[in-house]
Amino acid sequence: MSDDLQAVNPRARLFRIILSIYGIGIYIFLFAPIAVLILLSFNSSTVVGFPMAGFTTNWYARLSHDKVILDALEKSLFVAFWVTVLATLIGTAAAFPLVRANIKNRGGVRVFITLPIMMPGLLIGVAILVLATNVLHIQPSLRVAIIGQTVLATPFVILVVSSRLEALDRNLERAAADLGAGQLQRLLFVVLPLIYPGIIAGALIALTLSLDEFIVTNFIIGADQTLPIFIYNQLKFGITPEVNALATLMLLGTLAVTGGTFGALRLVKLLASTTKKTKRLEETASAEV
Amino acid sequence: MTVASTARDASGGPGEEERQRADVKKERREWRQYVGFAPAAVLFGVFFIAPLCLIVVYSFWITKNYELVPAFTKNNYATIITTSTYVRTFGKTVLMAFLATVAALALAFPFCYWLVRYVPKRLQRMGLLLVVLPFWTSYLLRVYAWVAILGDHGAINSLLKALGLTHQPIRLFLYDNPGVFIVLVYLYFPFAALTLYASLERFDWRLLHAAVDLGATPMRAIANTLFPQMRLAMVTAGIFVFIPILGEYLAPAAIGGTNGVMMGNLVANFFSGFLLPLGSAASVLIALVILIVLIIFRRSLDTKDIYV
Repeated sequence: MSDDLQAVNPRARLFRIILSIYGIGIYIFLFAPIAVLILLSFNSSTVVGFPMAGFTTNWYARLSHDKVILDALEKSLFVAFWVTVLATLIGTAAAFPLVRANIKNRGGVRVFITLPIMMPGLLIGVAILVLATNVLHIQPSLRVAIIGQTVLATPFVILVVSSRLEALDRNLERAAADLGAGQLQRLLFVVLPLIYPGIIAGALIALTLSLDEFIVTNFIIGADQTLPIFIYNQLKFGITPEVNALATLMLLGTLAVTGGTFGALRLVKLLASTTKKTKRLEETASAEV
Repeated sequence: MTVASTARDASGGPGEEERQRADVKKERREWRQYVGFAPAAVLFGVFFIAPLCLIVVYSFWITKNYELVPAFTKNNYATIITTSTYVRTFGKTVLMAFLATVAALALAFPFCYWLVRYVPKRLQRMGLLLVVLPFWTSYLLRVYAWVAILGDHGAINSLLKALGLTHQPIRLFLYDNPGVFIVLVYLYFPFAALTLYASLERFDWRLLHAAVDLGATPMRAIANTLFPQMRLAMVTAGIFVFIPILGEYLAPAAIGGTNGVMMGNLVANFFSGFLLPLGSAASVLIALVILIVLIIFRRSLDTKDIYV
């Protein structure tokens, strides 16, 4: 159709070229800081800046010996694990009534659920800090950080799982019920197998959000350090190549986790379809015999 | 059997009972359908709504010897409203959020238009994924990476020096408002792009075609067919960029220095300085701006497409 437009207006071609250059320019804008970050993690000078002095992998080697960083990594993973588990369970549970229950103002409920996403993290962080210290008398700690991050992550899980649930054909469940499946059986053998990509996507969002969360966590974590908090405390004394190396590794880590999960999902689908095919082939073969 | 059941129905005894039992069961089922909300309700109720209410309450309290004392005073608000630096910072924050929102939308629209119309369908998902990819790098580092671009030893200054254009590093961007503006637009551009893309992708391009057929120039066709349908998405995207910027405190601190201070920095400073009531009042003022924006645009807010 764009070709039709070009036929109508010869300037459309020029328009298209300009727009394409613009689009690529946007990608450069988006990736320049990340590229600079990765580039400078290999810079042999301790001064973070240009021009680069030389190439080194020294900063990466140093990271693996740094006890403080390894400790922060452990805490990050601990917090992320619990946030992922809690947000996925709570969010999936809430997605069902959101889609299926008899709610008069579903749009309103949706807006309410997105509130924690829209509200500036600063306000959420400060508010939870005040609640924990002044009312519940709990000192800021990893546990409070887990709760705070779960508040942030759960809405994403609800939104993703509910969109998957909406697309689900309810006749499949009715058919299962007709064939004698109880509620639990329908959930385990019909609904969950069909919506699990949504649940996994939600869990992934919760995981990556937790690993990177800084704004809320900074107020409520107390003396403990997750990786982003560690980086922040380092940056107070200026950006170092070591921190750049750490950030590069964190990027690779998140990419590996998300890429790996989606790859695994695809593999499962592929295996499922091939086993079905072979079964069908076997059946037809035996029928012919 | 039929005779027996008719007789029972006629007597009104057991049949009635059965019906009642069915009603109770139905009611219970109706109640049970909301059970899934329970954990989320506890989570959001205790750790989201209650804390925010607490902030509102504390904004009317006072501190004596570093202890919170219940009161009902408007002094905290009065202090903020009558201190000119606070007022100026507040105004600047709203203005900055507004300008960054406009810029993010203005950058995102042609970009998404390009993505939807001129990029082959199979590459579009990849293209969109690349927009979201920066979210997977540390937010902190994305902010600080700009220091390495805008700073004295930064990429821009090194380039200018190498080209022989300047000898002294120029400090136009770092440690001032323009730098904060650039970084805010950078941070929130993906929010705008995602929402606009979802709406553009659904647009029926035959409308545009028809307008051109009827003699409209392409620009006019876009303005008269596409823009009216994009209004909803524009508002939603705008809100999702505007609101978080109001509470932004890292980017202004890291990039803006003392000149770039925004409302979020004031709040953070009040709380770290144990000025709880004052910090609460400032937070409530930020929340009020958000509330006003949400009320004005409540009919246009479409949360269904976002993040899904």
